Amino acid sequence: MSENRALQRAHILANHILRSPPLPSSLSLAREVCLQYSPPELNESYGFDVKEMRRLLDGHNTEDRDWLYGLMMQSNLFNRKERGGKIFVSPDYNQTMEQQREITMKRIWYLLEKGVYRGWLTDSGPEAELKKLALLEVCGIYDHSLSIKLGVHFFLWGNAVKFFGTKRHHEKWLKNTEDYVVKGCFAMTELGHGSNVRGIETVTTYDPRTGEFVINTPCESAQKYWIGGAAKHATHTIVFSQLNINGTNQGVHAFIAQIRDEDGNICPNIRVADCGHKIGLNGVDNGRIWFDNLRIPRENLLNSVADVSPDGEYVSAIKDPDQRFGAFMAPLTSGRVTIASSAIYSAKVGLAIALRYSLSRRAFSVKANGPEVLLLDYPSHQRRLLPLLAKTYAMSFAANDLKMIYVKRTPETNKAIHVVSSGLKAVLTWHNMHTLQECREAVGGQGVKTENLVGQLKGEFDVQTTFEGDNNVLMQQVSKALFAEYVSCKKRNKPFKGLGLEHMNSSRPVLPTQLSSSTLRCSQFQKNVFCLRERDLLERFTSEVAQLQGRGESRESSFLVNHELAEDLGKAFTEKAILQTILDAEAKLPAGSMKDVLGLVRSMYALISIEEDPSFLRYGYLSRDNVGDVRREVSKLCGELRPHALALVSSFGIPDAFLGPIAFNWVEANAWSSV
Amino acid sequence: MLNVSKKNHSSHNSIRNRRGRSESKWPQRLSVRILTLNRPKQLNALNSNMITRLMQMFLEYEEDPNVKIVILKGQGRAFCVGGDPLPVFRDIVIQGKSWRVGADFFSEQYKLDHIMATYSKVQISILNGIVMGGGAGISVHGRFRIATEKTVFAMPETELGLFPDVGASYFLSRLPGFFGEYVGLTGARLDGAEMLACGLATHFVPSSRLTALEADLCKVGSSDPVTFASAILNAYTKHPKLKQHSAYYRQVYNIFFHLLLLLVFEFDGYLLSSFNSSLRRLDVIDRCFSRRTMEEIISALEKEAIEKPNEWISATIRALKKASPASLKISLRSIREGRFQGVEQCLIREYRMVCHVLKREISKDFVEGCRAVVIDKDRNPKWEPRSLEEMKDNMVERYFERVDEEDGWEDLKLSPRKNLPALIIAKL
Repeated sequence: MSENRALQRAHILANHILRSPPLPSSLSLAREVCLQYSPPELNESYGFDVKEMRRLLDGHNTEDRDWLYGLMMQSNLFNRKERGGKIFVSPDYNQTMEQQREITMKRIWYLLEKGVYRGWLTDSGPEAELKKLALLEVCGIYDHSLSIKLGVHFFLWGNAVKFFGTKRHHEKWLKNTEDYVVKGCFAMTELGHGSNVRGIETVTTYDPRTGEFVINTPCESAQKYWIGGAAKHATHTIVFSQLNINGTNQGVHAFIAQIRDEDGNICPNIRVADCGHKIGLNGVDNGRIWFDNLRIPRENLLNSVADVSPDGEYVSAIKDPDQRFGAFMAPLTSGRVTIASSAIYSAKVGLAIALRYSLSRRAFSVKANGPEVLLLDYPSHQRRLLPLLAKTYAMSFAANDLKMIYVKRTPETNKAIHVVSSGLKAVLTWHNMHTLQECREAVGGQGVKTENLVGQLKGEFDVQTTFEGDNNVLMQQVSKALFAEYVSCKKRNKPFKGLGLEHMNSSRPVLPTQLSSSTLRCSQFQKNVFCLRERDLLERFTSEVAQLQGRGESRESSFLVNHELAEDLGKAFTEKAILQTILDAEAKLPAGSMKDVLGLVRSMYALISIEEDPSFLRYGYLSRDNVGDVRREVSKLCGELRPHALALVSSFGIPDAFLGPIAFNWVEANAWSSV
Repeated sequence: MLNVSKKNHSSHNSIRNRRGRSESKWPQRLSVRILTLNRPKQLNALNSNMITRLMQMFLEYEEDPNVKIVILKGQGRAFCVGGDPLPVFRDIVIQGKSWRVGADFFSEQYKLDHIMATYSKVQISILNGIVMGGGAGISVHGRFRIATEKTVFAMPETELGLFPDVGASYFLSRLPGFFGEYVGLTGARLDGAEMLACGLATHFVPSSRLTALEADLCKVGSSDPVTFASAILNAYTKHPKLKQHSAYYRQVYNIFFHLLLLLVFEFDGYLLSSFNSSLRRLDVIDRCFSRRTMEEIISALEKEAIEKPNEWISATIRALKKASPASLKISLRSIREGRFQGVEQCLIREYRMVCHVLKREISKDFVEGCRAVVIDKDRNPKWEPRSLEEMKDNMVERYFERVDEEDGWEDLKLSPRKNLPALIIAKL
């Protein structure tokens, strides 16, 4: 083209001088061959068995997942559309809030009719729970609103009935919940109290004359807030409230209250208002609830932990209100488990789209007149996306691990589940947000289009960092739990057991001063670095807190002052837990190409985590030279992972229809003929 | 040439002999090639000669700049009843040859299907008669499929101890709702109207008008052949009414009629309920064939049959109970997987599956099915495993794995096709 243009200019100049007739038009029309979409599959090869890797990543119920993907693809309710010769299913986010809510509810009915939720509350055991988790994950890949609306109904309302309730509640509600005869919501958060559930202001008293509880919203800050399902669809709710018996506050308890009749009319003594339009998740009808002397039968107290007798006497096997509260909250871990895993699937969607695009989109030539370079062949582009890919892999194993310990939970593992799920929920949801932002930028302007998903998902998933426990609060809880564990082991002079702290029983690892490439990729070295950081931060944190306590400060305020250390420690703990899960997954594989690639991924995860955390330099675990070596190795690993990029995202197992059009033939999808 | 005849349109006969000279005189006539499957006694069942010949012709026409449209049709009352299982049966059962001989036959057939699915020129298949199994493979993947009032379509493989192959896991899975599962699992017969309604056919032309249609198609000039062919076909196409008892009937088709019936036959409760049920068929199919497992599909159908008994649902259940349990389970899984795969991946996976079928290590139902349906014709196969429950998940799983332990066995190698990007686009 440039040659033609030069020639043309020369001609024009010549024409000016010679006044000869203008050039034949054919010359000016001569042009280079147009850009053509070339699917990444044509040029990239799979270095390992993608199907096997997918099985490993999904971890369980692969066929059930595929069945549900298929159910959604084959229904017109899921907004099927053709773009560039392919079918896509994705919600129409341009619908109004009201439309999004109604279509989400319709999708729920459709999946109900297909038997998707069968056994979600009435079956038990690890197998049934894993299946339920897998299906919920698939719903979340289609639309976060869909999975949240289901999650509120089954995991919050349903599990509250199941875990806080007793036989009479189970018989009355569980099957009806599974069949959507009742639609449940979960009224815990108030305008004035979110993470601090113990501070809620809703008050319930007991009237022995009628055998009823009376629920009240005493002030505006006590209105229930963000209650998913409350604004439009829910017929029943769990109400969290202070229970006041004969003037004594017995702490927070959970009750069942009906808020709408079968026809959707709001019940007497209930006021409901809408939370309004949100930055995402508009398919969920979040609402606010006020209770005005609402009377409910005595049997509606969920009485697994405490009960009130007909004559109004409070009885509980657990005397300490703090412990009682803990017993109440324990089952709610399921929320954090599902959020952590859904965050990872969202990151997978983002990366699959961004990486596929980067394997088909070119920009700039490196050599004059040379072909334009594929985005992912730029080392800088690799550096932006491949470490996020490796992290997503590692965290995917961590999420699976968390699910496994959750479904196999025993009273003994409750504490570990609480700590690990808190850390992972925070780290994985933050990771998702970072990943989506990077993917959005990495696909350029296309990322701004809603249909390409990566941009929209930022809004849809943003709330994950807040609900079911604010991420920062959760990370502090991790550090507090580690502190308690440390203090109790030291006090009783017992070795560490559980929470992955066993390494604290042996001597402090010594790192080599020179870090060669092979050292950096050695799993033992990587483990040592992560253990050293966790150990040192835990010791620093406990000694700082102890020092302050020695000066008469309370434990709580000593924690507050040391929030920076607490934050570093929470991160160190969680990242080490993640590293351990990918190491375990790798160790279980037979020698072969899949294990080799996973080894690269694991090294990338370890080294990028080191590179990104200033703790290593701040506290001197690594020298400046060391950190430079780590950085060079990350860049080398980028180059080594580059040939596997397509195979690694294909292994996510997300059907094409659930990705955005730019992941495929984006030229065709934008062609004039498609307008 | 005996079996696959390049039978030119009457006005074409001379063209074949005077290709060079006639080109300028009737340029349009060279642009259309008509291939006729000519084994009418065997209902045009495909043997390896025909497959090789078809492949040759299709590749040759693709290279030939003069050819714009390839018409494929069948002599006699069938378009094509699919791959002929007899030679395979003879080779591997009677003569005891290696199952690999049989696998080669399937491999060639799938390669032909692949060429058609990615064909850069216009293929028009005229389905004026029976279309089954492999017959669907050589037509449905092409651009245009013309059904007529004589068309009978079926994928009867589960009755043979096989599974819907020839890329069926690709095209069946892309039919609306769960109609593909229904067609692939039960082997249900579809007529031309139903094929058009569900998308297996692109046009419906009464058979009496086919000669005129062919003649008009031969007039293709220098215009874009896809646009040209669409225009001609659209001019000929009819929109046949679905039969009242069609499985593809949707309730919305005839709400008005339904209301009328309510008024007229107010007191004839029986008539009303039987009419109701025929309207509900597509809904029943979606409700039942969307279930997760084969067992659940059957129990959902049985539940429907108890609630609203009718002949169609009984026949559907009978068909499933008659089919090979192993076939049903691998077929369901194949269609479900095919939904997420491109046509190449589908063919490669189906080739793995058919190798396991031929190898007969997990089940010997293919041999038994051929015996019962084609050889002894007693139609009383003894399946093994005998029930769906006995066909365990891990046994199903094995059909989808590579045939690793076998010396020199390789996955199906599909030759790269030029202009692939644009052609990857499904024609269905």
